[in-house]
Amino acid sequence: MSGTWLTTRAWLLMLPLLIVMVAVIGWPLADTVQLSFTDAKLVGTSGSYVGFDNYVRLVSGNAFGRTLFTTTFFAVVVVTVEMLFGVLAALLLNQRFHGRTLLRALLILPWALPTVVNATLWRLIYNPEYGALNAALTQIGILDNYRSWLGEPGTALTALIVADCWKNFPLVAMIALAALQAVPRDVIAASYVDGASAFSRFRFVTLPYLAGPLMVALVLRTIEAFKVFDIIWVMTRGGPANSTRTMSILVYQEAFSFQRAGSGASLALIVTLIITVLAVAYGTVVKKVAGSAA
Amino acid sequence: MERQSPLFRLFLHAAALLLAAIILTPLLWLFVMSISPAADLAAKPLRWWPATMDFSRYATLLSSVENSAGAAFMASLRNSLMVAGMATVAAVALAVPAGWAVSRTPSVGWSLSVVIATYMLPPVALAVPLYMALAKFGLLNSVFGLALVYLTILAPFTTWLMKSGFDGIPREIEQAAVIDGASLWQTLRIITLPLAMPVVATSALFAFLLGWDEFFYALLFTSDQRAKTLTVAIADLAGGRVSDYGLIATAGVLAALPPVLVGLVMQRALISGLTSGGVKG
Amino acid sequence: MSALVVDTIRKSFGDVETLKGIDISLESGEFLVLLGASGCGKSTLLNIIAGLAEPTGGDIRLNGRSLIGVHPKDRDIAMVFQSYALYPNLTVRRNIGFGLEMRKVPAAEREKAVLEAARLLQIEPLLDRRPSQLSGGQRQRVAIGRALVRNPQLFLFDEPLSNLDAKLRMEMRTELKRLHQMMKTTVVYVTHDQIEAMTLATRIAVMRNGQIEQLGTPEEIYNRPATLYVATFVGAPPMNLLDVTATAEGLLIAGSDRVIPLPPPLLAAVPHGKTLKLGIRPECFRAESSGGLPLTLRCEVVELTGPELILSGNVGGQRLVATLSPRTRAVAGSDVTLALDTEALHLFDAETGKRIDLRAD
Repeated sequence: MSGTWLTTRAWLLMLPLLIVMVAVIGWPLADTVQLSFTDAKLVGTSGSYVGFDNYVRLVSGNAFGRTLFTTTFFAVVVVTVEMLFGVLAALLLNQRFHGRTLLRALLILPWALPTVVNATLWRLIYNPEYGALNAALTQIGILDNYRSWLGEPGTALTALIVADCWKNFPLVAMIALAALQAVPRDVIAASYVDGASAFSRFRFVTLPYLAGPLMVALVLRTIEAFKVFDIIWVMTRGGPANSTRTMSILVYQEAFSFQRAGSGASLALIVTLIITVLAVAYGTVVKKVAGSAA
Repeated sequence: MERQSPLFRLFLHAAALLLAAIILTPLLWLFVMSISPAADLAAKPLRWWPATMDFSRYATLLSSVENSAGAAFMASLRNSLMVAGMATVAAVALAVPAGWAVSRTPSVGWSLSVVIATYMLPPVALAVPLYMALAKFGLLNSVFGLALVYLTILAPFTTWLMKSGFDGIPREIEQAAVIDGASLWQTLRIITLPLAMPVVATSALFAFLLGWDEFFYALLFTSDQRAKTLTVAIADLAGGRVSDYGLIATAGVLAALPPVLVGLVMQRALISGLTSGGVKG
Repeated sequence: MSALVVDTIRKSFGDVETLKGIDISLESGEFLVLLGASGCGKSTLLNIIAGLAEPTGGDIRLNGRSLIGVHPKDRDIAMVFQSYALYPNLTVRRNIGFGLEMRKVPAAEREKAVLEAARLLQIEPLLDRRPSQLSGGQRQRVAIGRALVRNPQLFLFDEPLSNLDAKLRMEMRTELKRLHQMMKTTVVYVTHDQIEAMTLATRIAVMRNGQIEQLGTPEEIYNRPATLYVATFVGAPPMNLLDVTATAEGLLIAGSDRVIPLPPPLLAAVPHGKTLKLGIRPECFRAESSGGLPLTLRCEVVELTGPELILSGNVGGQRLVATLSPRTRAVAGSDVTLALDTEALHLFDAETGKRIDLRAD
């Protein structure tokens, strides 16, 4: 039972996982790094070394800046709306009212719906000729003519954001609700006895318990929003006129539509770098919040 | 605790109704589309509820007549089950020993942190080499190849869940078994694993849902009925020239049914799994 | 030959030394209590004896055989954990018999041993239940049964009673004592509860900062504490400590002009001119002023608990507690004169904390 044997045994038990992880993540990532310095095509030529050419060309090209902006805009808006809506829903579901149990159960439905089904559903709702949104808005008189919500650059991104928020705010709500239920009843009771107003009760009693879990939700949702691919691919494929093209879509087009494996790899690594920087920055903040809450 | 004023109660119920409407309306509409005759869906003004309910599309999709829409749908359904199922079994098989090792030997924990940090990687950062490797080994368009690739997503997540699960089982129980003379294998088989079964089940469920939901790799690495999954099949329907929107909706309902049912039945376990990391920090 | 020998056991975690050379030697059938506050190293020592942790240096011998490097299952020991560590998924019967099952004892023989242990602990009706269906006290009995059934050479107990309520704790304490008297197996028992230590032990090792402060019988620990730490750790209410200096007449209490007179032969043994700590157990005071050494104190609070009267007061600004007969007349705010015997005085060096013996014995 010596320490070294325990450590060795632990490594042996981890070994299968680590081997698989190296095979399906570690090695491909290393290969992506290597590819990013070549002009390799997806099929055929293995390419030759081109140094940082791919990076320089991509970053100076105009698609990159615009796509980065679109991605950031999408991420910031969906995360903000989801956090806001999620916390509001959680505060509501933490109150006493008839049907609360049922409503809490319903909350899991959008989260459980497969992403692609969600995207398909909203695509049908936004349909320019037969969609429910057009029908509803014309029937109550807000809209005169049917519109192509996903077909116009002005509305496509907003339409996507609505669809994404609808699916993902329940996750934030579930995390926030669990945190709210973890607030000790004694502390709440004490705040009533001390005569705290509803606002100061939220600010000084509830919020400290919410802060940590919400930060975790924020980090997870930001990373996911930055990586977003599925919902956009199914609803718009990045169009119209590239108005909904996010970084992952751009990488897909570069590497698989145009079969430029080398420059696709460079682009993918830039995205990875951005997400890593975001995650590390957030991680620092999370530690701070967790530290001050404790 | 606090007595609710009538006005506040009214507000609460109104807000609850609004939230219920927001959640349910899109879902109900998906179902209504699936049972409305094509003519109703194309009508202007739109018919919100069909004059006669038409369940024929469900029969169409669930039939296995060759070269029909049903055959393609059934094939993709089978592929999704196989890929998600195999990836789940493999992920749990990797996660149980690794999760236990990290839980009991914190000094190796950093390696799990590294594995979990790969969550930040966008799949596009791995896609090109994975594509080339699968092509090389003839695993494109194969449920096995896709299941292997799904481990990139499933294995870190299940290991993390298993580790938190094992953390909840006191070490002293295992120490008692060791003093009682049980070998490591006996301790795990007779004592620890039976106690960890709820967590194993939750992890497997999560892994299956993740596999069922996956789209990006399936889109890249499958192109025909041999391995094309349900998500890709539905995306094809939605993006293709299918004129019957009801059929797309029906496929959506069928694809959503398993995870939604699992979600409703296993709600408590899923939420505790979802939030355990968040709440504990 | 000693049954259990702990020979200069050391344990370090990185730069932190949690055990600094522990030496204990136990005769067969002894009940050793490792007593100390949390973090003193007592549980680490127990885990090393059990084989759940490896020492950095030193040796453990059980009946002459070194245990270093021996797997816990081959040490012929049984352990009862603070959390009971029952197997939640197994019945009480299988919990108790698990050690025998793992050692491939035939089922019939196992069943007999389990029934025997269950009868001894009066848990026969519970054999087919699972731990979750038991009360705290019943779980405790099952945990003890699991250890008993193996009939080991050495029992280890890790704070076994700390999760029980006060009443049950007393019952189980008596039960443990009864079992030990019957089985006569060597026991090492870890606790921070000095009452458990006093009542159960044949010997107590008071530990502090990874070292043994004093190893001795309960009587020795109580009546002749070797250090200030032992003196204050054992006894409730704790021993009073007064700053005093030795003068020609006796011990002058700091902050006052009161002197506790000491006979010259005793006084000769006390170093003069230096501040000392005088320890007096609260229960050593007597109310009657006739006989013994008189000590007058200002009475501040009087509490009647029923069987006794607790008087809190001060002498020269130093706090003092006395437990007296409930019939004692005392009024808060007045002066009271109490009597002491010279045997009740414990003197300690204020700097080293070491005992200064007043008698030559």
